[in-house]
Formats: sequence, structure tokens, C-alpha cells
Amino acid sequence: MSDILAVNAVDVTKRYGALTAVDGISMAVAQGEVYGVLGPNGAGKTTFLRMLFGLIRPDGGTLQVLGRTWQRDGTRALDGVAGFLESPRFYPYLSGRVNLELLAGLDGGDAPTRIDRVLDTVDLTGRDRDKVGGYSFGMRQRLGVAAALLREPRLLVLDEPANGLDPAGIRDMRALVGQLAASGLTVLLSSHDMGEVEQICDNVTIMRTGTVVYHGTIATLREQAPEPAHRLSTSDDQSALALAAGRPGLTVLALDGALAVRGSLDAVDAYLSAVVRHGLALRALSLQEAPLQSLFFMLTETSPETVPGSLDRSPTGARP
Amino acid sequence: MHPILKAALTGGLALAAAASLSGCGGTGVTRPRLESALAATFANLYVQQAGILGYSGVSVAQIAASAACDKGGPRVADAGPGADWICLVTFTDHKQGTHQGKFEVQAKSNACFVAGGPSKLVGLTTITDTHGNDVPNPVFEFDGCFDPRA
Amino acid sequence: MTATTSARIREVRRPGAANRRPGTPTALRWELRKLAAQARARYTLLGSLLAPVLLVLVLDGQQRPPKDNIYGRHIHDSGYAMPLLVLGFAAQWVFPLLTALVAGDIFASEDQHGTWKTVLTRSVSRTQIFWAKTVASVLFALSVLLLLAASTITASSLIVGRQSLVGLTGQLLPSHAALPLVLASWATAIAPLIGFTAVAVLLSVVSRNPAVGVVGPVVIGLVMQLAGSLGGLDAVRHLLLTTPFESWHGLLTEDRFSGPLIDGLLVSAGWTVVCLAVAYAVLRRRDITGG
Ligand SMILES: Nc1ncnc2c1ncn2[C@@H]1O[C@H](COP(=O)(O)OP(=O)(O)OP(=O)(O)O)[C@@H](O)[C@H]1O
Ligand SMILES: [Mg+2]
Repeated sequence: MSDILAVNAVDVTKRYGALTAVDGISMAVAQGEVYGVLGPNGAGKTTFLRMLFGLIRPDGGTLQVLGRTWQRDGTRALDGVAGFLESPRFYPYLSGRVNLELLAGLDGGDAPTRIDRVLDTVDLTGRDRDKVGGYSFGMRQRLGVAAALLREPRLLVLDEPANGLDPAGIRDMRALVGQLAASGLTVLLSSHDMGEVEQICDNVTIMRTGTVVYHGTIATLREQAPEPAHRLSTSDDQSALALAAGRPGLTVLALDGALAVRGSLDAVDAYLSAVVRHGLALRALSLQEAPLQSLFFMLTETSPETVPGSLDRSPTGARP
Repeated sequence: MHPILKAALTGGLALAAAASLSGCGGTGVTRPRLESALAATFANLYVQQAGILGYSGVSVAQIAASAACDKGGPRVADAGPGADWICLVTFTDHKQGTHQGKFEVQAKSNACFVAGGPSKLVGLTTITDTHGNDVPNPVFEFDGCFDPRA
Repeated sequence: MTATTSARIREVRRPGAANRRPGTPTALRWELRKLAAQARARYTLLGSLLAPVLLVLVLDGQQRPPKDNIYGRHIHDSGYAMPLLVLGFAAQWVFPLLTALVAGDIFASEDQHGTWKTVLTRSVSRTQIFWAKTVASVLFALSVLLLLAASTITASSLIVGRQSLVGLTGQLLPSHAALPLVLASWATAIAPLIGFTAVAVLLSVVSRNPAVGVVGPVVIGLVMQLAGSLGGLDAVRHLLLTTPFESWHGLLTEDRFSGPLIDGLLVSAGWTVVCLAVAYAVLRRRDITGG
């Protein structure tokens, strides 16, 4: 049983008219794994997860969840799977508790006996008799987690769970997800934030406009991460940018009215000296972004040629 | 097409065809149907009017009401709904006198009609019963319906 | 790739009760519970109970009875005339509206609230949800009809009385014969009412917009009513869903006739089957992208 992959997607494609939202995605998530699906807005993360839940039909490819497929198993394909897509939605005219009672009823089994426990887990116990229409965004997000936990899932799918929350809410949500991940559940977490995924995920798939740009472990990704990026501001950024041309091991990009400088410390030192020698004044130099974040931006924003060629782009553990 | 959808559409269309065939043959409002319904309705109501007025021995059989209808004059076919039906109703009253009167009939597409008779023949809107009370005159204006495919 | 031990443990301790799957009755129970929590549904039921009483009181106080409608001229003569007047009147747009208030909303409101993804990621199938919602809509429509009939007939026989009723061939129907006929007349509205419920369900599924689902059947009903009242369209008239609402006329003539009643059942069944089948197919195939 445990050899069965939690998610096994092969060449999954979804088109909306002329737009290919998901373009031949393959992904393998083993049970017990905490897996990140990363990508900027519009990458196709939600579309992929909707197919996983059977809410939309793939136009091509096969998708197995815990060894089951929609075509063969129908609703049973969701046995042991729970989660939410985008922001969770509930019936506003029912209380949080009645919403959970309803969903537990639709889950069958002993789900109704878990309501108190999951309300407690997400810290909604005091507000459970209020109508959901009066809940704050964060409370609804937590109710979404509670509704997912009701199913006592083996695979928990969370689509940008921290999206739209305030800083404290983001902190609490991340702590909750981390806690759930640590409990041994298989978690499939989508996010557009490397920082969110980096801490808790073992493996990631990075998507960009429907295609995979990286598949692999966070550890491998870390090795591939570029040298730390610096934010550089000079008296003449145009000239400074021109000076960067042809320097080995150095990338300089114009970014938000300053320059983003990436490279080994030696290369950066040499470049800065050259800038000063050229009569330009340095106005500011600061460490700009976390290395993984830089890599993520490179993978999902710049043209494919600039992506390090050594990255493994095949699905982790893809099965024949 | 989805098999269930296909089966349902076929079934639905078959039902529709069955329903429309069973009722085909143009309009249900025809001259014979209207004539017999009007005569029967008038007779029943005339008996009630006689009861209110205190005339005895009046029955539907004794009245022997009949109607001859025409729609919109000689150049219009005598079928179909419309407010332009004129029906000549003939009947025998409680004193064995034979009467004839022109009723204006509005026939509706749902095989019901509203008929109004001449007041010198059927009386006014209200009549006075045996106790001296004014009560509605059942034959002044009345509704009726008939089987659109009898 | 190996799974962690904890995943294996989790699997083993999954309780057997968790395998009990919910069925359509569970989904139906929750649809009814949701209806009960909605003010619209509660007020509709309450209105169906109280509005007829008010209507009977107002009509009873009228000097000039509404003679344009069948049985309008007899409302002061017999307490059995008023329910038939109201039945004829309700068929014009009240029945389509009352059923559409729930059936036209029950699918589209899931789109409105974005809750399709919430219910369809549990252990019930789209088919089960479809039937639960459809059956809930039909049960609601039947409850409304029952309340309207009971309230109108009771109020009218208490306020006006239980005099004998003039039939549609002018024949006198004594009280004990009139009551069953009036009840049967109201019962003939069941089939077309279910037909209109199916129309509302279809509009609700296809439009994904509660306003269309609620107003649509009323407009369709009025258009059908108009088309049916025109002469020369008899073949069309037979296929209209409003025609069966008048099939009770055959119960009140001296020689009863059942042709329109049987046709009405067939036509209503046809509309119901086709509308529900299309709605089902659309719901089964559609992509749930909202919410
Ligand atoms: N129902 C739809 N109809 C048409 N296009 C759609 C639909 N849903 C999604 N798309 C398109 O598919 C692409 C992928 O969208 P998707 O929502 O999967 O992205 P995402 O990675 O989840 O983005 P985000 O981070 O903004 O949630 C986008 O270009 C989007 O516009
Ligand atoms: Mg998304």
C-alpha cells in the first residue's frame, strides 16, 4: 500500500480555449512526503490541483491519487484526500459548526465525531456558533483547514493557504502547516513564495505558465542556488550595467531603479572595483534576496537560457 | 452525446409526439362541441333559475334546450376560439312556450366559454327569489367548459 | 521512493467506520437543512400558508367578483369556488414563481457562494448531489402546493361556507361531491408544477445565476400562457407546460373527460425528463472553476 504514490501525474494537460493552463505536467509525490508546488500567479498550480480533486477534467495525460483515478473510481478517488483550493468557501448563512457538520455528513463514516477536535486544532472553538458570513478572511481560511482535517486525510492538499492573511495570520498558518507536515501526513502545498515552501518541503515542482521548470529536492535546489544577490545603486546605473558585460560568473540586471548583482564574492569584488575605477560613485550596496528566492525568480521570470543548465527537470522518482 | 441525455431526449420527444398526436386535428373548439356544451349548460342553469323563482316542474329534459352557433358571420369558418361566436339558443319554458334567443359567446382556446343571453329572455343580473331577496341570476352570464376532443 | 513509517501507521489505524459512505439520502437531508436555514424558503412556506387567507378575505369583501377568471363570478355563492379561482390564477405565474424560488436557486447558489468545490471534494458524487438538490426542490414545490391548497380551501370554506358548487356544465354539485373534486383539481397541478421545477433546475444549472433561475421559469410560464391563449396554435398548445394547469376543467363538467389530464401528465413528464436530463449532463461535465 505504502508503495503507492500519493500523487502520480503523467503528462497532464488542461486547456481553456486557446490558453494551455497546464501543459504536460508530470509529478510524483510519495506518501509521507511534504511536497511543494511553486509558481507565480497564473503558473497553473490551482488548475493542476483542481484536476487532482476531479473538479475539472484533464484534456490529456493520466492522474492517479493514492493509486486511484477519477475515470475508474469516481468519488472514491478522493478517499483519504482533503484540502482546499484558493480561498475555502462555506455557506455564509450557516454557522461554522453547522458547515462542518454538513461536510462531515457528506464525508460519512465517523467524521462527525471529529468536529470538536478540528475546531480546536484551528482555534475556532469560541466562534463556531457564529454564521460564517460574519467570519474574517483568516477565520474562513482556518475553517478550511478544519474542514480538510475532518476527513482525516492521508493526503492534504493546500493551495496557497497563507494567501491573503495578515503577517500574524501567515505566521500561524505556516506554523499549523508545519505541524501537520511533521505529523506524517502527505502534504501537497502550493505557493508562490519560496520562503513558505523552503522550510517544510522535501521536494518541489516549480511551474511557470503551465510547464515545469524544476523538479527535485530543496537540497539540490539549494546547491543550484545562485550566489547571493546584492542590490547596488550607483551615480550612473546605466554605465555600471554596461561595465558588467563580459565579466565571467557575474549577472547584473536592472531591477526597480537599481541593479541586482549576482556572482561569487570574487566576481562581485572585481566588478565593484571596476565601477569605482570608472569614476562612478557607489550609493548603496545591500544583500538583496535569499538565494533560493533568487533562483525561483530566475526560473520563473527570466528567459529559459539563463536558468542553470545542470538543473534536473525530470519528475522526481518518475515511474515508467 | 451522453447516453443518458440521448435516452432522455428521445423519451421526451416521444412523449411530446404522443401527446400532440393524441390531440391533433387542429383546434379543439368546434361548432358541435360548443353547441352541445352551451345547450347543456344553459339547461342546467335555467333549471336553477326556475328553482330560485319558484317555478315547479322544470327539468333539463322538459326544457329541451338546443343551440345553433356561428362564428363571425358566414365568411368565417365556424371553429376556433374567439369572442365573435353567436349562438341561437332554443328552449321550452315552464309554461310550454318555446323561446329563442341570441347568446353572445366568447370561446377560449382552453375549451371554456363565457355566454351572455338577452335580458328580455333570461332576465337581469339579479333576480328576486321566493323570499323576496335579490340573488344573482345564474343564466344572465355564465361559464362552461367542454371536452376539446369529444 | 519510500514512504515514511508514520504514513504506514496512519493507514493501519484507519477505523472501519470511515468506510461507511454517505448516500443520496444524506445529501438530501443536508439540502433540506440548508433550505430550512434560508429565509427565502421559510418565508415562501409561511406566505403559502397565510397569503391565501388574506386573499380569501379580500375577495370575499369585493362587491364585484372577478368575472374574467373562471369561477370568479361564483365566489360569493360557494366556498368551493374560491379555491378553483385561486387555482386558475396561481397557474398564471404564481406556481412557476413559487417553485423557482428554490429550484432556480438551489444549484446556482453554489456558484454564487463558490461552494461547489467545497461539497464536491467530499465523499459524495455529482450525481448524488444532483438528485439530492432535485428531490429537495420537488419536495419544496409539493409542500408549497399542499400549504396553498389546504390554506385556501380551509379559509374559503370557513369564511364563505360549504354551499353546493356550480359545475362547468352548469350542474349543481352538492358540498360532499364538490370537496373531493376541488381537492382533485388541486392535485392535477402536481405534474406541471414538477415540470416547472425541472425547468427551474435546468436554468439554475445552466445559467449558474440565481436570478435567471428564479425569474426564467416565470417568464417562460407567462410566454407559454400567452402562446396557449392564442387561437390557431393548438398543436403547440398541447406541448406547453402551462396547458396541464387547466386540465382540471374536465373534472367539473357533467360528463367528465380525462384526455387533457392524461396529455398533461405526459407533457409534464416529457418536460421534466428532458430538462432534468440536460441539467444532469451539464452538471456532470462542467468544469468547476469558480470559488
Ligand atoms: N476557468 C478558466 N477559464 C479560463 N482560463 C483560466 C480559467 N482558470 C484558470 N485560467 C487560466 O489558467 C492559467 C493558470 O491559472 P491558475 O489559477 O491555475 O494559476 P495559479 O498558478 O493557481 O495562479 P495564482 O497564484 O494566481 O493562484 C491562468 O493563465 C489563468 O488565467
Ligand atoms: Mg491559484
